[in-house]
Amino acid sequence: MELFTLLLTIPILYVFFLLWKWVNDLRDQQCYILDYQCYKPSDDRMVGTKFCGEVIKRNKNLGLNEYKFLLKAIVSSGIGEQTYAPRIMFDGREECPKLEDGISEMDEFLHDSIGKVLSRAGISPQEIDVLVVNVSMLAAVPSLSSRIVNHYKMRPDIKSFDLTGMGCSASLISLDIIRNVFKSYKNKFALLVTSESLSMNWYTGNDRSMILANCLFRSGGCAILLTNNKALKHQAMFKLKCLVRTHHGAKDESYSVCTQKEDDQGRMGFHLSKNLPKAATRCFVDNLKVITPKILPVRELLRFMAVSVVKKWKQRCGSVPKGAPEGPIKAGVKFKSGVDHFCIHTGGKAVIDGMGVSLELSEYDLEPARMTLHRYGNTSASSLWYVLAYMEAKKRLKKGHKVLMISFGSGFKCNSCVWEVVRDLDDGNVWKDEIERYPPKTLLNPYMEKYGWIQDEDLSTFKVPDEI
Amino acid sequence: MPPMLPDFSNSVKLKYVKLGYHYLVDHIITLMLVPVMVGIVVEIVRLGPDELLNLWNSVHFDLIQVLCSSFSVIFIATVYFMSKPRCIYLVDYACYKPPVTCRVPFATFMEHSRLILSNNPKSVEFQMRILERSGLGEETCLPPAIHYIPPKPTMEAARGEAEVVIFSAMDSLFEKTGLKPKDIDILIVNCSLFSPTPSLSAMVINKYKLRSNIKSFNLSGMGCSAGLISIDLARDLLQVHPNSNAVVVSTEIITPNYYQGKERAMLLPNCLFRMGGAAILLSNRNSERWRAKYRLVHVVRTHKGADDKAYRCVFEEEDKEGKVGINLSKDLMAIAGEALKSNITTIGPLVLPASEQLLFLLTLIGRKIFNPKWKPYIPDFKMAFEHFCIHAGGRAVIDELQKNLQLSAEHVEASRMTLHKFGNTSSSSLWYEMNYIESKGRMKKGDRIWQIAFGSGFKCNSAVWKCNRTIKTPTGGPWDDCIDRYPVHIPEVVKL
Repeated sequence: MELFTLLLTIPILYVFFLLWKWVNDLRDQQCYILDYQCYKPSDDRMVGTKFCGEVIKRNKNLGLNEYKFLLKAIVSSGIGEQTYAPRIMFDGREECPKLEDGISEMDEFLHDSIGKVLSRAGISPQEIDVLVVNVSMLAAVPSLSSRIVNHYKMRPDIKSFDLTGMGCSASLISLDIIRNVFKSYKNKFALLVTSESLSMNWYTGNDRSMILANCLFRSGGCAILLTNNKALKHQAMFKLKCLVRTHHGAKDESYSVCTQKEDDQGRMGFHLSKNLPKAATRCFVDNLKVITPKILPVRELLRFMAVSVVKKWKQRCGSVPKGAPEGPIKAGVKFKSGVDHFCIHTGGKAVIDGMGVSLELSEYDLEPARMTLHRYGNTSASSLWYVLAYMEAKKRLKKGHKVLMISFGSGFKCNSCVWEVVRDLDDGNVWKDEIERYPPKTLLNPYMEKYGWIQDEDLSTFKVPDEI
Repeated sequence: MPPMLPDFSNSVKLKYVKLGYHYLVDHIITLMLVPVMVGIVVEIVRLGPDELLNLWNSVHFDLIQVLCSSFSVIFIATVYFMSKPRCIYLVDYACYKPPVTCRVPFATFMEHSRLILSNNPKSVEFQMRILERSGLGEETCLPPAIHYIPPKPTMEAARGEAEVVIFSAMDSLFEKTGLKPKDIDILIVNCSLFSPTPSLSAMVINKYKLRSNIKSFNLSGMGCSAGLISIDLARDLLQVHPNSNAVVVSTEIITPNYYQGKERAMLLPNCLFRMGGAAILLSNRNSERWRAKYRLVHVVRTHKGADDKAYRCVFEEEDKEGKVGINLSKDLMAIAGEALKSNITTIGPLVLPASEQLLFLLTLIGRKIFNPKWKPYIPDFKMAFEHFCIHAGGRAVIDELQKNLQLSAEHVEASRMTLHKFGNTSSSSLWYEMNYIESKGRMKKGDRIWQIAFGSGFKCNSAVWKCNRTIKTPTGGPWDDCIDRYPVHIPEVVKL
């Protein structure tokens, strides 16, 4: 019988070995950011309000009303004087773009950011196993991911994916792909490239709902290097804690909020409907409902449940009147208890203000998003990474801190994720040389006075001035 | 007469020798077990029944030990089953069948061409020559916007085409599988050249009111091999999410991409690409195991983008007049052959039986050590697969692959007939071919299918499926009403 027990130990040891392997595999499924590089275009691409005024003026289809409307929008948008536009705007050819303009715009970004992030991390392009590119408004053949594979001579067995049409929330969708691939394969490197193509998408008509999109987007992009190799845990910057996606496409009002279509004259543009803030809020609330239990400590969740039960009881008793609150909905939950920093998509001043009210954030919390909007404008999917870079440059990110990223996109989607900071971070990234100047004393547009008069002008006597 | 007979008998003997060798190597483990089993049986018979009974009684088993051993056996079994990767099943798929009104027979196509390119008779003649040798038939379809002279590729028309193709395929899929829209957990849409905002995946979510926590992805720009890239992504996602359904929609929207210029190399896609789409339901639920049609075995992706020539071979660019079109280079066939070789090198060891691999290894060693002039052994993939679905990229692609893989006419029949009836429908062509094989009643349980697709970049992707149950005809697919007419003989040149 001793022989028998001896024989029994072998399978038992094997079982323990399998268990250990299984636990080990679980640990390998974490998603770490090794490094990221935001794109800072060259200074000859800088535009300010004056340039925007000139661009609007030279558009023959825009009349005085549109001029007023656009200038008002630009001046009160929160976008500063140092944002970047594609080269085609400087050539004056935005109304007749060529395919090579779009491609060269992307090439400039790709060769800059990807090269920098790979060389800084010391990873060669042949070590990349997964490549996900998301550029919403450009679908080229061969895809941009093939462009990158060709330029950097990546391996033939690379897993490449090219996402388009997914709007400003696409970088978190790409992150979702990478996270899922990391769970099935061990020790992989992934490169996430996110940007937006503006050259080919200038709207040449005068439909009010469509011309706004022309003025608000700016050039930008980000390349992020990720891995699930736990040996590199100590070099990593962030660890992904959770990612939640919410899609409200099933609701017709949400779906039609941001569509690419032709206007009555057959000109292509982006139609932004007036329901955008409402659809965004609804989607955001749904997303919060899912992510909040995952990130907040139990104590806070219990407190919130107790408060809402009391509120419902009071409503039933009739002491507090029912009725949907107007404007941004207050979540009623103290997010600060579970999250230290907030990366809000810089969709516009209204979006940031709305988020601030909903999540009960202070000016300190909203500062990174406001400063990014001011300095880089709305760079679509990559804006979150600029906000993150600002926090890093301001040395706010310490080990153990949690960062919540929220973004919205057409469709209507709201995606959010939470990162945990792995080590104290202090590299400036794109903000390195100028972080001392932020926050500036005032964010007001310097042309507010200059253009302020336009509100009072009489249409019949108004002439577009030569000097703006 | 006498000299011929020895040759014949020689070749017959060789055939049997080959068969014997393959059988021996493939089943070597079973064959080694046979003598062991024989030995045990002989020993038992020798001992006799009484001795055996004594042996049995002398072995005492303590209750605790019995419990421990059974517990550990159960535990090991559970851990083993839990650590296996999940099985991905293809429950069913539906292909879009375009209406008869969209048909573009040769006469229509040439008439349009003559009217639109009236100033360029050379380009018209080029298109005619391509069409004659293309392998396409008279029943391929183009979307309504392209039937106008000149074509009217507005965004509305493109969206309209997308809606018709995708929604028809999805409706057909829902009907065939009984799937409810609320049960879809993952949605992947791939369309190479049309990507509106909101994306096509958002369009599907809106139409069918899918759940708000759906994982949707919209892939584009990845060419004709994008269908298999979507399957790869679905597989990775299904490995991570248990009990989920994934719907993959593969299509190509022709309306915005019809080349309107006169550059010859760019007119080629106009002659070949046609309307089509497919919707596929994949699942990792155990309940689907019984009714699923196929099980996914492997997906292998090869990307030759690092080589500049391969990268430039399918390129979207503007011609001299600023019109956008896709330029197909002349080395397309050679590059496709190279990409296929790379792909085969990876997939070979995964699917070939041991006998073929051994032969390949031996010839490789022989070439390296003895004589480099030995012909490289091309493994016989017919031993690994029963059916082949080669992307119907064009007649030349199918011919090249037939030659490279040494396939018979019956193996490539599905591809040729799909090219004839539906044209090059890009990423969805593989599914039309699969449906052809099913409609012909050739798909039996246990059959292995190899899907190969090429795409811009240059990519070569393969997927290997195993048939889960014998598929009965009719299948409810686009071939149902005309399968009896096929196969047709496609002449080298159709005189126009």
